[in-house]
Amino acid sequence: MIALDVDGRTIQVEAGITVLEACLQNGIFIPNLCFVKTRKRPHASCRLCFVEIDGLDRPVPSCTQRVRDGMKVRTDTEPVRRLQRSAFKLLMSTHICTPRECPTQGRCQLIRTAKLLKVSLKPSPLERLERDVDPVVRLGPLVHYPYRCVLCGRCVHVCGEESGHGLLTFAKRGFNTVVATFVSEGEEGPCAECSACVGVCPTGALTLEAPETAESEEPGRAADSGG
Amino acid sequence: MKDDARLSEEETMLRSIEAMLPRFEKNRAQLIPILQAIQEEHQYLSREAMRLVADYLEISPSEVLGVATFYNQFRFHPPGRHQIKVCLGTACHVAGGDIILENFERKLGIREGETTPDREYSVERVACVGCCALAPVAVVDDKVIGHMQPSKIEGLFLQFDLQREQEKAREAGEEADAQAGS
Amino acid sequence: MHKLDPEKRLALLAEEARKRQAQASREDVPTLRIVMSTCGLAAGAAETRAAFEEALERRGLEARIVAVGCLGHCYAEPLVVIHHPASGFPPLCYYNIDPGKARMLVDSFLLDGDPALEYVLGAMVPNDLLPAVTDFPRFSMEQRVVMEHCGAIDPHSLDDYLALGGYGALATALGRSPGWVLDEVARSGLRGRGGAGFPTGRKWRLAAEAPADSKVVICNADEGDPGAYMDRTIMESNPHQLLEGMALCAYAVGAEEAIVYVRAEYPLAVRTIQRAIDDARKAGLLGERILGSDFSLHIRVFQGSGAFVCGEETALIQSIEGRRGMPQHRPPYPVEAGLWGRPTVVNNVKTLSTVPAILTRGAHWFRSIGTEKSPGTAIFSVVGNVTHAGLVEIPMGTTLRTLIFDVCGGIPKKKAFKAVQIGGPSGGCLSGDFLDTSIDFDSLTEAGAMMGSGGMVVMDEDSCMVDVARYFLDFTQNESCGKCTFCRIGTRHLLLILDRITKGEGREEDLELLDTLSRDIRDGSLCGLGKTAPNPVLTSLRYFRDEYEAHVREKRCPALKCRALTAFYIDLDKCARGCDACVGCCPVEAIFTTRGRKKAIDQELCVKCGECVTACPPEYDAVVRVSPAHLAPIIERPQPSEGRG
Ligand SMILES: Cc1cc2nc3c(=O)[nH]c(=O)nc-3n(C[C@H](O)[C@H](O)[C@H](O)COP(=O)(O)O)c2cc1C
Ligand code: SF4
Ligand code: SF4
Ligand code: FES
Ligand code: FES
Repeated sequence: MIALDVDGRTIQVEAGITVLEACLQNGIFIPNLCFVKTRKRPHASCRLCFVEIDGLDRPVPSCTQRVRDGMKVRTDTEPVRRLQRSAFKLLMSTHICTPRECPTQGRCQLIRTAKLLKVSLKPSPLERLERDVDPVVRLGPLVHYPYRCVLCGRCVHVCGEESGHGLLTFAKRGFNTVVATFVSEGEEGPCAECSACVGVCPTGALTLEAPETAESEEPGRAADSGG
Repeated sequence: MKDDARLSEEETMLRSIEAMLPRFEKNRAQLIPILQAIQEEHQYLSREAMRLVADYLEISPSEVLGVATFYNQFRFHPPGRHQIKVCLGTACHVAGGDIILENFERKLGIREGETTPDREYSVERVACVGCCALAPVAVVDDKVIGHMQPSKIEGLFLQFDLQREQEKAREAGEEADAQAGS
Repeated sequence: MHKLDPEKRLALLAEEARKRQAQASREDVPTLRIVMSTCGLAAGAAETRAAFEEALERRGLEARIVAVGCLGHCYAEPLVVIHHPASGFPPLCYYNIDPGKARMLVDSFLLDGDPALEYVLGAMVPNDLLPAVTDFPRFSMEQRVVMEHCGAIDPHSLDDYLALGGYGALATALGRSPGWVLDEVARSGLRGRGGAGFPTGRKWRLAAEAPADSKVVICNADEGDPGAYMDRTIMESNPHQLLEGMALCAYAVGAEEAIVYVRAEYPLAVRTIQRAIDDARKAGLLGERILGSDFSLHIRVFQGSGAFVCGEETALIQSIEGRRGMPQHRPPYPVEAGLWGRPTVVNNVKTLSTVPAILTRGAHWFRSIGTEKSPGTAIFSVVGNVTHAGLVEIPMGTTLRTLIFDVCGGIPKKKAFKAVQIGGPSGGCLSGDFLDTSIDFDSLTEAGAMMGSGGMVVMDEDSCMVDVARYFLDFTQNESCGKCTFCRIGTRHLLLILDRITKGEGREEDLELLDTLSRDIRDGSLCGLGKTAPNPVLTSLRYFRDEYEAHVREKRCPALKCRALTAFYIDLDKCARGCDACVGCCPVEAIFTTRGRKKAIDQELCVKCGECVTACPPEYDAVVRVSPAHLAPIIERPQPSEGRG
C-alpha cells in the first residue's frame, strides 16, 4: 500500500493502479468515460479525467498516470476544470439528450459529469453539430443510438478483448467515426447471451431492446433507419 | 439482366482474390498490404472481398471493415472509368485549386468523392501530389496536369468525348467485320 | 577472402563500380542527364526524353541518357544537363526543356556544337567560358549535406553511389563498434528532422540500452504535410544514402529488422527504394552478414494508405501492425515498446540521410554548420508566391529573409510579401515582422511557427490569412483520427467558425471563441496532431487580427480572396465596345452584353472563378474585384428582344 495526497486528503491505495482508479476507489469522483481497467494501455480519448500532479506543469489525464508514493494530486483546480468543461461542451455538441427514452434512466455518466462541473447539458456557446448518421442503427441484434455515443470505445474493447467476439469496431475516421459491425441487421450472434458492451456503455447508446418509438424530442427523425 | 451481369462480375473478382491470397503470410500485419493489392487489381473493396480477407487472416470481418474505412486510400464502390483527382494541397489551394474542383463538379454534376451514374468519371480531392511548383494541379487518369485552368477542363472533356466516339466507331466497325466474316 | 575486413571489402566493390562506370561512359559520347523525379515528370520530362531519343535516332547520333533525381530547382523543370566533351564546353544545365527545345538541342549542340546559350541556366562547374550555376544565389547560398548528390547521380545505380564513397561510413562503423556510432551521432548534436527536433543520439542510446532480443528501425517517410515533398525527393534521388543511414542506426541500436514507411501517394519513391534495397542486398551491403561482418539487417518497404495521422509515430506503428492508425498514449515511447512491443527507433528520412555524412566527415564538421543548438542544415520545400520555388537546403540559422528573398528570388509580379507559413498544418503563419527570425528549431517555435515537416508557403498581398487558417483546419479536421474529444469535435467547431467568417457570417464573439477553443484543443488533445492543429489559427489571430476583424465587422476580405465577400464587375469606362474576349471564358455564362454593347456580369450567376480577369486583354484591364461584395454596381440584363422568356 502506498499513500498519496488528493486535494489535501491522504488516501492509501495498492501500488500499480492509476490515479483515476485510486480516486474512484476512495470516493473522489473524477469524470471519466473511456477508462476500462482491463486495457493494457490507457485509451485516454475522452479527455475528461484531467488532474494536476505536483511536478508536472500542466493537467494530465489521471487514467494515464500510475500512483507513486507521496504523490500530490489536485482534482479541482481552475486549469483542470477549464479543460473538463471544454471537453464536456464538445461532447454535448454532438449529443442528443432524451432522458425520458434513455435506457440509463438518469444513471448516465454525462449527467453525473454535468453536475460535478456545474454546467448545463447544452453545448453553448458552441453550436450543435449535425452528424452524417442515422438516429438509430442496427448493429446485428444490437440497437445503437449514435447521437448518444461518445465514442469512448469501451464497447469495442470488451467485445474484442474480453468476450473475444470482435463483432464491434470503430469505422470511418475523424468526426465521422462511428461504432459499427460487419454483422448484418437482424443476424443473430452471441450478443443476446453476452451483452457485455451494453453493460459498459457509459451512456445509453447501446441496447438489446427494440428501438424506442417515442420521438417527442426530435420530430422529423425517423426512428427506423431504413438502411 | 444487368444485375446478373454484375453478379457474375463480382463472382469473378472474388475467385481471383481467393487465388491471390495465398501469396501473403497469414498474419495480421498483412492486412493492409492485402487490401492494397486487392484494390490495385480490382479498383475497390467489396463487402464480400473484405469477408474473404477476414476469413483468410482468421480475424473478425468487423476488424477488416474498421481498418479499411479508416484509410483514405480504400474505396468501397467501383470508381469511374476516368479518375479525376484535383490537388488541394497548400500550394494548389493558394493558386485556386478549389475553383478547379468546383468546375469539375459543376461540369459532371457530381460532388467530390462521387462517380457519375454512367460510371464514366469520378472526382476526388487529393492533398499535394508533389508538384507544387506547377500549381494548381489535377491528375487525370494518372497523368499530372500542371497550371490548371477552368478553360482547360472543357478541352479535356472534348478529348474524352472524341475518344469515346472513336471507340464506338471502332467497336461498330469490328462488329460489322465480325458479321461480315461469319 | 573470408578474412577481409568490411572496409577492404567495400573498397573492392567500389573499385569494380568505378571500372564499370568507366566502361559505360566514353569520352566521345555526350551524356544527357534528365531530371525524372515526380516533379520533373509532371512538367513533361518523359515527353522531353522521348523527343531526345527520337531526335538522336533520326540523326544517327550516339548519346547516353541518364534519368536522374531532383536537383531541387522545380521552377525550371524539365531540367536537362548535357555534357558534350567533344564540344569543349563544360556540362551545361538547361531549363524548361520541352520536346521542341529537345529536338533543337540535338541539332544545334550535339550535331553542330552550338550550345544554344539562351536556354542555358549555367554551367555545372566553374569555368572560363560562361557563368556557372554556382554563381547564382539559388545555388551558391545553399549548403548541401543531405541533397549533395541529388540530381547528380542515377538513383537506380548502386555503382554511382559506391563510386562516390557510398556505404563508406557503414564499412568504417562495422570495423569499429556500435558505441562509436552512438557517440559520434550524439556528439554531432543532430536533431530529428521529422518535426519535433528530438536529439537523435539520445533516442538511439535509449533504444540501444533497452533490454530486448530484437529491435526495429523505422524510417518515417509518410510526409503528410500537403505542401512538402523533400522526403520524397531524397528517396527518389539518392535512396542508398537513406539505406546506409538506416543500416548505421540499426547497427548502433542492435536491430536486425528495418522498415521504410512510405506514403501511398509516392509510387515512384516506393519503386526506387525497393530497387535500391534489392541491389544493396545483392552486393552484400544489406541482408545477412553485411560486408562479411556479424551484422545482419533486413529492410522492407511498407506502404501507407492515406492517413496524415500515420506520420505520428505511434499511429504509424499501429498501421504497420494492421490496425486503424490511431495514436496511442505515450509513454511507453516507441524506443521502449514499439512495433510488436519491441524497442523501435522511428526517424525521419532526412535525419537518417544525414547520418552517413556525419560519420564520414565527423561530428565536429557537422557542428561547424548551423547553430549551436540546431547544428546542420535544414531542407525546405519553398512554394507559393515565390520566384524560384523548389527544394532548398540551407544551414540552420539562416534568416527567413535570406531564404525567401536572396535564395529563392523573392515575390514575383512585383507584389508585396505578406506572410510565410512554416511547418504545414501544425505550423504557423508569420508576418513580415519575423523575416529576420533565424531558421532553427527553437527560434521558430518561439515565434509560434514550427520547423515541422519543412513545408514553407510564401504568400503575397493577395493571400487572405483567414482563408489560409481555414484551409489548414479543413485539412487537419479531415485527417483527425477521431479518437480524442478535443481534436475530433473541437477542430470541427474551429472549421465551422472559420467557414462562417470567410462567408461573411462571422459574429463578434467568434474571435474570442476561436481563441479559447484553440487553446483548449492545444492543451487537451492526445497526440501531436490535435495539439498543433490550432497553430495556424492562433498565429494568424495574433499577427493578422485586423483581417479577421474586417471579415467579421465589415464583411470585407482585404486580400479580395474570400469568394462570398467579393464580387467581380466590369468597369464600363474601360471595357471596349464590341470586344468579346471574356464572354466565352465564363464557365456559367454570367457575362452578357449591355445596351451600350459593352459587357457586364450577372452577379446572381457569377461563381467568382476569376477567369474573366485573365481573359480581358491587358490593354483594357476592365474586370475589377471588390470587397465587400455589395460595392459591385448592379447592371440589369437587357430584356431579350426576341422574347426568349
Ligand atoms: C500528426 C503528425 C504527423 C507527423 N508526420 C510526420 C511525417 O510525415 N514525417 C516524419 O518524419 N515525422 C512525422 N511526425 C513526427 C513523428 O511522430 C516522429 O516524431 C518523427 O518521425 C521522429 O523522427 P525524427 O526524430 O527523425 O524527427 C508527425 C507527427 C505528428 C503528430
Ligand atoms: S456505444 Fe457506448 S460504449 Fe460504445 S463507444 Fe459509444 S458511448 Fe462508448
Ligand atoms: S489529437 Fe486528433 S489525431 Fe491525435 S489522437 Fe486525438 S483525435 Fe486522434
Ligand atoms: S478516462 Fe482518462 S481520458 Fe477518458
Ligand atoms: S499542393 Fe498541389 S501539388 Fe503540392
